[in-house]
Amino acid sequence: MKFSLSDAPIAAEPITHDEAGGFVVFEGKVRNHAEGRSVVGLEYEAYPEMALSKGEALVEEAIERFGLSEARVIHRVGQLAIGDTAVVVQTASAHRREAFEACEWIMDQLKWRVPIWKRETYASGVAEWVVPGEAASSRVDDEMFARQMQLPEVGPEGQAALAGARVLLVGVGGLAAGSLPSLVGSGIGTLGLVDADLVELSNLHRQTLFAASDIGRMKVERAAVFARRLRPQLSVQLFPVRLAEGNAEQLISGYDWIVDGTDSLSTKLLLDRVCQRLGRPLVTASVHQFEGQLMTVRPGGPCLADLFPEPPPDHCVGTCAQSGVLGVVPSLMGVLQANEVIKGILGLPVLDDKLLLFDFRTLEATTIRRKSSSELSSGGSVWDVDATSINLASFELVDIREPNETPELTRPHHRVPIAECYELEWQRPTLFVCASGRRSYRLVADLRARGVRNVFSLQGGVECLERD
Amino acid sequence: MKTVTIRYFAVLRERRGLAVEQKTTSCETVGDFVETLIAEHRLGLPPALIRVAIDHEFVDPTVPLQEGSELVLIPPVAGG
Repeated sequence: MKFSLSDAPIAAEPITHDEAGGFVVFEGKVRNHAEGRSVVGLEYEAYPEMALSKGEALVEEAIERFGLSEARVIHRVGQLAIGDTAVVVQTASAHRREAFEACEWIMDQLKWRVPIWKRETYASGVAEWVVPGEAASSRVDDEMFARQMQLPEVGPEGQAALAGARVLLVGVGGLAAGSLPSLVGSGIGTLGLVDADLVELSNLHRQTLFAASDIGRMKVERAAVFARRLRPQLSVQLFPVRLAEGNAEQLISGYDWIVDGTDSLSTKLLLDRVCQRLGRPLVTASVHQFEGQLMTVRPGGPCLADLFPEPPPDHCVGTCAQSGVLGVVPSLMGVLQANEVIKGILGLPVLDDKLLLFDFRTLEATTIRRKSSSELSSGGSVWDVDATSINLASFELVDIREPNETPELTRPHHRVPIAECYELEWQRPTLFVCASGRRSYRLVADLRARGVRNVFSLQGGVECLERD
Repeated sequence: MKTVTIRYFAVLRERRGLAVEQKTTSCETVGDFVETLIAEHRLGLPPALIRVAIDHEFVDPTVPLQEGSELVLIPPVAGG
């Protein structure tokens, strides 16, 4: 039995394990004051069947989570005097860190998850039950979020919306150093963390979720420790993987809001595509030296691909590793991301039709209005054509999608990579087609800017062509 | 000839080595002008990857260049 209750005085029990080098014993004792009042004694009452099963599950979870050799908890019930031991937590692990952390984690979780009630007797002679679990949780929440709930835009309903929200942070680095504390502090209920990386020394100047002692450890795991310290009731889900085509839908579909904390354009565009497909709002941000960019993408609204449909390899635009970055830049952009998510959950306006450019040298913010590809198309360029309004047979059809993009067109056509389109001569009227109409729009705008006249772009992409 | 102001962001600013400059040009369109900037200052990105905004709106490369405009040049940014 890993969790036990006792109505007699308790003490640590000897534990030995040949493979364990770190043994931690925590003793919680009755002290003579509580919230400013003088305490003379207290009483613990458990709902034993449930306390034992919940307690056992908690200790097993700690063993699993921290990879412990062993863990035990003994909790007192009945009357206790000042100085009596109320709870003993023992952990044993190969190294001391896990043993210390597991011990603290067990104590944090214990009061929320195991039904044991405490009745304090004060010097005034009055006794009160101090309730753990759900009731205590709502009392703690009321106090924790009092200043925020004071806002008319939040109130108890807004706070409840936040508590019900599930937010996925993809990339737990510099941007997350700003977004994670702000999101957890705001009272969101569930946080998912996606990152396959380990903490490195060169991360620490900007990724301030981590400590020097975290180097070499999983980022998601260390970030979860940070989040739970701030709010033990938070539900945290860890995904120590790299976001990719194969797992993106599965990861994203379980969440209401997606926060992009990655440092790769191809991953940002993947998030953008999958969020559009699944109808999830995305808050994306990027940083470069002393600058930050931010935008919120609503399902069906202007997206990242509307701005940059064809990303270059990351090395062309400079990552943090290549171009350098001031530590505060990602942190502050991350705070702004959290602000977008919180406003979105509360139903307040977000930056879903603009791009924010923030210059940390001058503190100048510039916003630029973004348009979706359909708005761009409706701009009335004569060369951006609708499949129903033209005679397709009079055009040479050129598919500019990547070789791996399907389905293959059924009409006669050529397949030409975008880069080559700039080199070739277009003598006959040519209609360019891509998946959505975005890439072809940009290509034709470019070609026309260079004086090429016979080129056209198909609105809506391949689908509109095949439907016709 | 027209005189316009150019503001560079992110990797463009890094490659150009400054944030803001004024230039006088004979280019007719925004697209032509951006191409001359790319060539002259080795900005290292194709025109399709540089978005241009004037008066807080993105504009197409075909838009005529106007005297006194401020062009904001925005490349994709990857870092996080």
